[in-house]
Amino acid sequence: MTLQEAKTYLLERARERGVELEALATGSRELSLQARERTLEEITAAERGGIGVRVVKDGKTGYAYSEELSPEALDWVLAEAIENAELQSETGGFLPEGRPLGKSDLLGEGLSAPVEEKKRMALELEEGVLRDPRVQQVGAAIYSEREFQTELTSTRGAEGGYRSGYAYQMVSAVMAEGESLKQGYELKVARELFALDPASTAQEFLHRTGRLLGARDLKSGRYTAYFEPSAFLALLSAFIDLWSAKQVLEGKSRLAGRLGQKIASEAFTLYDDPNHPEGLMNAPFDAEGTPTRKVYLVREGVLESFMHNSVTARKLNAESTGHAQRSYKGVLDVGPRNLIVAPGEGVTLQDGVLITDLMGVHAGANSISGDFSLQALGLKIEGGEAAYPVENFTLSGNFFELLERIVATGRELEWSVMFLAGASPTVEVAEVAFAGA
Amino acid sequence: MLQESTAERLIQHARARGADFAEIYVERWKKRNLRLLDLEVQEATSGIETGAGVRLFFGTQVVYAYTNDLSEANLLEVTDTLARLKGEAGQVDARGAGGLDFRGSAPAGLHGPQLPPDERDKRWRIERLAEADAAARVGPAIKKVQLYLIEWDQEIQVASSEGVWNTDRRVRTRYVVTAIAENEESMQTGFAGPGLSVGLELFDLEPPAVHGRAAGEQALTLLRAKPAPAGPMPVVIGNAFGGVIFHEALGHLLETTAVARKTSVLTDKLGEKIASEAVTYVDDGTLPHGWGSSEYDDEGAPTERTVLIEKGVLKSYMVDRWGSLMTGYRPTGSGRRQDYTFAPTSRMRNTFIETGDTPVEKLFENIEFGLYAKKMGGGQVRPGSGEYNFAVQEGYVIRNGRVEEPVKGAMLVGKGPESIQRIVAVAADRKNAPGMCGSLSGAVPVEVGQPHLLISEIVVGGEG
Repeated sequence: MTLQEAKTYLLERARERGVELEALATGSRELSLQARERTLEEITAAERGGIGVRVVKDGKTGYAYSEELSPEALDWVLAEAIENAELQSETGGFLPEGRPLGKSDLLGEGLSAPVEEKKRMALELEEGVLRDPRVQQVGAAIYSEREFQTELTSTRGAEGGYRSGYAYQMVSAVMAEGESLKQGYELKVARELFALDPASTAQEFLHRTGRLLGARDLKSGRYTAYFEPSAFLALLSAFIDLWSAKQVLEGKSRLAGRLGQKIASEAFTLYDDPNHPEGLMNAPFDAEGTPTRKVYLVREGVLESFMHNSVTARKLNAESTGHAQRSYKGVLDVGPRNLIVAPGEGVTLQDGVLITDLMGVHAGANSISGDFSLQALGLKIEGGEAAYPVENFTLSGNFFELLERIVATGRELEWSVMFLAGASPTVEVAEVAFAGA
Repeated sequence: MLQESTAERLIQHARARGADFAEIYVERWKKRNLRLLDLEVQEATSGIETGAGVRLFFGTQVVYAYTNDLSEANLLEVTDTLARLKGEAGQVDARGAGGLDFRGSAPAGLHGPQLPPDERDKRWRIERLAEADAAARVGPAIKKVQLYLIEWDQEIQVASSEGVWNTDRRVRTRYVVTAIAENEESMQTGFAGPGLSVGLELFDLEPPAVHGRAAGEQALTLLRAKPAPAGPMPVVIGNAFGGVIFHEALGHLLETTAVARKTSVLTDKLGEKIASEAVTYVDDGTLPHGWGSSEYDDEGAPTERTVLIEKGVLKSYMVDRWGSLMTGYRPTGSGRRQDYTFAPTSRMRNTFIETGDTPVEKLFENIEFGLYAKKMGGGQVRPGSGEYNFAVQEGYVIRNGRVEEPVKGAMLVGKGPESIQRIVAVAADRKNAPGMCGSLSGAVPVEVGQPHLLISEIVVGGEG
């Protein structure tokens, strides 16, 4: 059976058994080409797909999934999901009212190119990096692409699908100058492979990692922190669950009860835009068929919304914001698509530290208390200029306080998918505690 | 799963396109997870996972594809795509024309389940887990008990251009008890997690009441533990999961994945004395019902008991097909992978230090001041050098030969190849414990193990 046929099959069986059912199916395709020592060392071509159901019986919810699409396997899935539902003691489960969602193609011909072109992307990336004599060792130079087909259907009337995907280039390598060694990486993602240019990705890597060579220790103290876009997104990724209504319900978000209140500086606006023209994770509807829309989480410092699926919305007396997330193997959750820190009036570098890299983001941050202590790399900024690179320091503080000390945001957005998918400008934060030598 | 004729056509197709070696791996899993918190069902999921992996060798270069569309037409197309991606080698080769003589054998069921998963309903599982919940509540300080049950039923099939045609079935069951204790000062967790290549008889072989109680008691012990001492000192490491240190800091250095690329400090050391004479280190894929056991590996080779180190002398590495090609060492049935989405690499199975002859009490006898690392936690290792740091989950101070107060926050810091030379005595109480080992080919079930053993000196990092 195809995923499409499996969807219909499950729907019919569920109706026969008198249970509500939602089926989410995903098919994915991947191609990965890794260059090493000027040949393609690793080649992986992959296809994977499966279907996962959420059933509701007598107000109890259960899940099961299959990658095999035979009638026996699908019958087993339905039986297991019902049995799993019956084990729950919590009642009040439901499926949201659905509607036709249509078919859309967000990818188009974005990944269409001869394979020779794709191989060249990996080989030229490695070559571009090796051209610099300071490069000691290239760990990986990769071209990779992913394509997804997502299908949703439910006994409550949801029905639709969409195709999406992206291509990326990734290089990681060690650079050396004198005694100084730095390992860095560069990742470029785009919805169209022709937006990727191996030569400029290599150049960017050499610039970003090369500028950190010869780093000195940083003197402990309080400095203005200028977060580069990817570093700010890395920090944000450790705390994004504060905006999850699921975390609010479980008593794990300190933002609970603060809707409409000022929680950050006026310079800070944060929104999720699942339909952004440059978005890498765009989707017309979420994992339970709620149409997606632009949702402000924080507008000019004021907490405006949490991220909801239909279940958290009902429990908190709110509306779903279209943030349901689920893979076919998993259970219903909440999460962002393209999280965007709004650009502002611009940042003027004066004195402080430009943070280029944050390490150990999840181990070094406590999303409940907001406390963080993170190892970082960066450049010391003096008199508006990059004076010298710095290392062996941590920046620490509390995320809630940091939000209040945001001074300004840059004019230009830079996209990333490393820690979370989204975009940010450079973010200037006053009075951050740095512990160094 | 796969027809013999389909496998044959696929392999010939790959050979005709220039591959020196072609392999097809097919698998199907049934997985069930159940998570309870204070006996409330938090999560219950079930799933079928199935797919095929096609691996082609062009010399020592490997290309890999996977798919879960198992139709012959699709598998042929996948093979074509791989050969085309490889490019330059894609000429038609006469070797593709000959017939294949598959030498298959069915598994003997050496690790098969007594009580297969489908013979009991889910309520029965909850009742058995409830025994662990009750036993874990050893005092009023135990506030929460979480129970997690994992059931895997995996069938695999491997066919290759060398005539391999093997199938295997691996049924594995594991439960994990986490007890959370809390007082005014802190919150501590204790856990126990038995697992074997068995069905639901696990609940009889490893009684929930015993493991529940162990988790509860560990949480209470940690609640009264003081900060650990620091500095170099003699350390007695407990049996069973204590073996995790040498798994990480020694075992990984003996896999051909590291040895063939010469990224291991133990490369080219066969026949040399690399450990104390008290040490015999074994990786045994045949251990009856072992968590890491199977009849065949994921390349279709029979598993075996491989003696890695005998009385301190390095005897063998763990060798998969690619590793054998690169190094010339004989394959040891060590090719493993998490599932069809990974190509296999050389991996450990059940790896342990063999039992010694020193009575356990004797290990502590002459220690004036040291640490007893009774239960180990997680850690990190740099594979090149074997430098490790591991947290001690449950530790005690040893004073004048006696085990005294519990301590928390101790870290053991050292280098695997150095520490193994400092093992001065090995007790006679070997036990193994299950775990998941993550590496290039994904996360695979393994056992680690050892008897209690005494290391003359390890640097302990602590707070005090």
